[in-house]
Amino acid sequence: MTHEHLTRVELLRRAALGGAALTVPGFLAACGGGGIEKEAGTTAATTASKKLAKRLTISNWPLYIDTEKKRHPTLDEFKQRYGVTVRYIEDVNDNDSFYGKVQAQLSRGQSIDRDIMVLTDWMAARVKRLGWLEPLDAAAIPNKKNLVPGLAHPSWDPDRKYSLPWQSFLTGIGYDPNRVGKEITTFDDLLDPKLKGKVTMLSEMIDTLGLIMLAEGDDPAQVTKKTFDKAMAKLKKIVSSGQVRQFTGNDYAPLLAKGDVWAAVAWSGDVIGLQPDNPKLRFRIPEEGGMIATDNMLIPKGGNAHTASVFMNYVYDPKVMAKIEASVNYVPPVVGTKAELAKIDPALAKNALIFPDLSKLHAFDPNAADNKSYKQQFQSAIGS
Amino acid sequence: MAFLHRHRWATPYLLLLPGAAWLALFFVVPTYYLVNTSLQTGSLDVGYVFDWAWRNYSDAISTYHDQLVRSFEYAGLATVLALAIGYPLAYWIAFRGGRWKSLLLLFIIAPFFVTYLIRTLAWQTILADEGVVSNLLRDLHLLSADGRLLATSTAVVAGITYNFLPFMALPLYVSLEQIDPRLVEAAEDLYASRLQAFLRVTLPLSLPGVFAGTLLTFIPAAGDFVNAQLLGTPREHMIGNVIQSKFLVITDYPAAAALSLVLMAAILAGVAAYARALGTERLTG
Amino acid sequence: MSVALLRRHALTAYALLAFGYLLLPIAIVILFSFNNPAGRFNYTWEGFTLDNWGSPFGIPGLWPALKVSLEIAALSSLAATTLGTLIALALVRYRFRGGGATNLLIFMPMTTPEIVMGASLLALFLNLGLATGFWTIVIAHITFNVSYVVVTVKARLVGFDRHLEEAAMDLGANEWTTFWRVTVPLIAPGILAASLLAFALSVDDFVITNFNAGATITFPLYVWGAARVGVPPQVNVVGTMIFLAAVGGMLVNVLVQRRLGKGAA
Repeated sequence: MTHEHLTRVELLRRAALGGAALTVPGFLAACGGGGIEKEAGTTAATTASKKLAKRLTISNWPLYIDTEKKRHPTLDEFKQRYGVTVRYIEDVNDNDSFYGKVQAQLSRGQSIDRDIMVLTDWMAARVKRLGWLEPLDAAAIPNKKNLVPGLAHPSWDPDRKYSLPWQSFLTGIGYDPNRVGKEITTFDDLLDPKLKGKVTMLSEMIDTLGLIMLAEGDDPAQVTKKTFDKAMAKLKKIVSSGQVRQFTGNDYAPLLAKGDVWAAVAWSGDVIGLQPDNPKLRFRIPEEGGMIATDNMLIPKGGNAHTASVFMNYVYDPKVMAKIEASVNYVPPVVGTKAELAKIDPALAKNALIFPDLSKLHAFDPNAADNKSYKQQFQSAIGS
Repeated sequence: MAFLHRHRWATPYLLLLPGAAWLALFFVVPTYYLVNTSLQTGSLDVGYVFDWAWRNYSDAISTYHDQLVRSFEYAGLATVLALAIGYPLAYWIAFRGGRWKSLLLLFIIAPFFVTYLIRTLAWQTILADEGVVSNLLRDLHLLSADGRLLATSTAVVAGITYNFLPFMALPLYVSLEQIDPRLVEAAEDLYASRLQAFLRVTLPLSLPGVFAGTLLTFIPAAGDFVNAQLLGTPREHMIGNVIQSKFLVITDYPAAAALSLVLMAAILAGVAAYARALGTERLTG
Repeated sequence: MSVALLRRHALTAYALLAFGYLLLPIAIVILFSFNNPAGRFNYTWEGFTLDNWGSPFGIPGLWPALKVSLEIAALSSLAATTLGTLIALALVRYRFRGGGATNLLIFMPMTTPEIVMGASLLALFLNLGLATGFWTIVIAHITFNVSYVVVTVKARLVGFDRHLEEAAMDLGANEWTTFWRVTVPLIAPGILAASLLAFALSVDDFVITNFNAGATITFPLYVWGAARVGVPPQVNVVGTMIFLAAVGGMLVNVLVQRRLGKGAA
């Protein structure tokens, strides 16, 4: 966190740490300015509204929660327990599009009519840096203690004051061995001319470029101009050869299940979730390594921080997280989920994709992930 | 009312005022802002400011030259195909439809009654790699064993043609329907050949319909991105895909605005050239 | 003669093929509304079921999206019909300076590709600092609908017999009474047709809406989102409902026109 990115809230926090005994009036006098007054006002409002709202609106990615007979049982249970109706909207199709949709409002301090939105690390870092997030109501989240230690201190939110992970996800290769005619073990196996036009890759830069860098023997956690250019050159060659049928968000899933696509750069949970449609599908982390990233629950400005925090506390109960996990098959951020999941579905609890060996997994360089020039080059290479 | 009686000249302006003001505010003014945006520089984080940045245009054209050209290729091809399908169809309804004309016309516009996205998604099902159509064509050896229909330029052009065909067929029908059948009969007697009669009488009389139909098909086709997105691959992406993504995904507004205006200018230039070639005086006169 | 016969049949066969091309996707949409998919994708025929029709809104989010679409369509078609009808009256009934400019103003939105119109409206809202959402969609839909209303109502007005109004005035009716008692009933079918068209265009619009929707979700936007993860058969059910409603509206309009035509004759 560099100094220029310091938000007002952080300034407050640091100032408060420096002078814990400072009274609010004295504090105002010390800092001066109406902005602080407003800040103090909102804090007061948050403390005052410890009452739960009637409704909680969540924006999440498609197929990212337990679903049974077209309902979401954990949300129904949340309503039973707390009397809060959850309006659950699956309208995050990719980070950039969602950002494009909501930035006009958030940048003007207007509400987007959402209490929680779920965004990937690098985008979460951006909206946090822009000051568009409400802090979590820490008092309402005792279950925060269940957070997996490895995820507790990301550089963009060191104490998880503004975010809690929803799921982590692995990026590897999903494929249908029957159609491909063999197993796919490396990224370069996707480039077999026999698969021309039968391959999709992800339109999220960190996923596709991450795998390419690993295939080139480079480290996606430390992106340099040289490694980036090398990966882009390879990507451009792949695109111009016609090997890639499409660059997709979640929309590779129907194509893969249907057989229009035989192999795809894919997210782990998606492929496990496709088994009912096509039991032959497999997901594999390439031999040279795969990618891991985390999607985070965030409270956009104007959201009800208390109610949202109560919800976060609810899903951080391993019992609840296990129910979600049994359906979405991603990587849970909550300690104790494995034991609870074993009670629901022992086979899943042993699944190495849900409880993966982290040694072959890499995170994408967070600075490179949100580098404008890199992103533009990537977008123009994939044809949009 | 008394005011209206005394100032009859004012009546048309009063009738016009609300609608014209609306269009001025939400059609003309936005165009100004589009031009303004296209000349801005900056970034979303720090804000965009007006800067006479003409290089946005040269950058946009040089970077997305391929997509621009492709848009006009696909739109042109789809227009020709729609004419080839729509003209005989409109002719058949106009001259052979008899008392079923209304019902047959309903068939022509029926696609418009199914939500645009849903009918385009239906083409995904129809053209799927393992679908009936692909397998049939493979059995007939019209498609190679590993060939495909979906995610090709063929699928994109077929989708565009389908989606805008009613725009072509309706004006054609209107202009053909107005032709007096007795005139055609007389021409057939005179030229002694149906083909000659068609070429010398029916076709020229239907040219206004051809003009309207081709424009109504070509213009939306050139700006379309849905077909390329759902039925194509990045190699089939058109300028619409780029504009869409620049505005809504990458939020590079100046480049997106510049590309929109380039598209609009190219369309206007094309329409003007086309009108001159076909001779609008003759069409409207 | 046999050559002519052949040609006649060739043309008929060609026309039938063209109809097949036009109607095939519609048949697919309707057929797959009865599909019973095993997994979450509705693309191969798995068996017949009425379940989807039994609970068309059984999937989360579909009904709210459709409701938003219907609200926007109602508001925008009402406003556009009012604005457009007044313009059409002015254009057909009066000679005045600026008529050419007005015609151009009506014509331009119809010849602007949707994406450019959506983009320029977004440029307006961005520069004015207006957040996009429900009302910006309404504004956009009114804007593209006005021109269609003008053209539709104008077509009806042009074939309109001024003598009826003159007769009413001769019988002592003033201008206002004549307008409401004679003019409006005569052009009512045109206005009805225009408002139905505007409503249908609004419900169907994706491109312009996509630019100006912000975090609001209309039915086409819902379908666009759903297409990324597999469109559920309920979307086909709603698509079929919209199709049937549009065909029904069209038939009603034809009947009304016939009846009024008879009444006038």
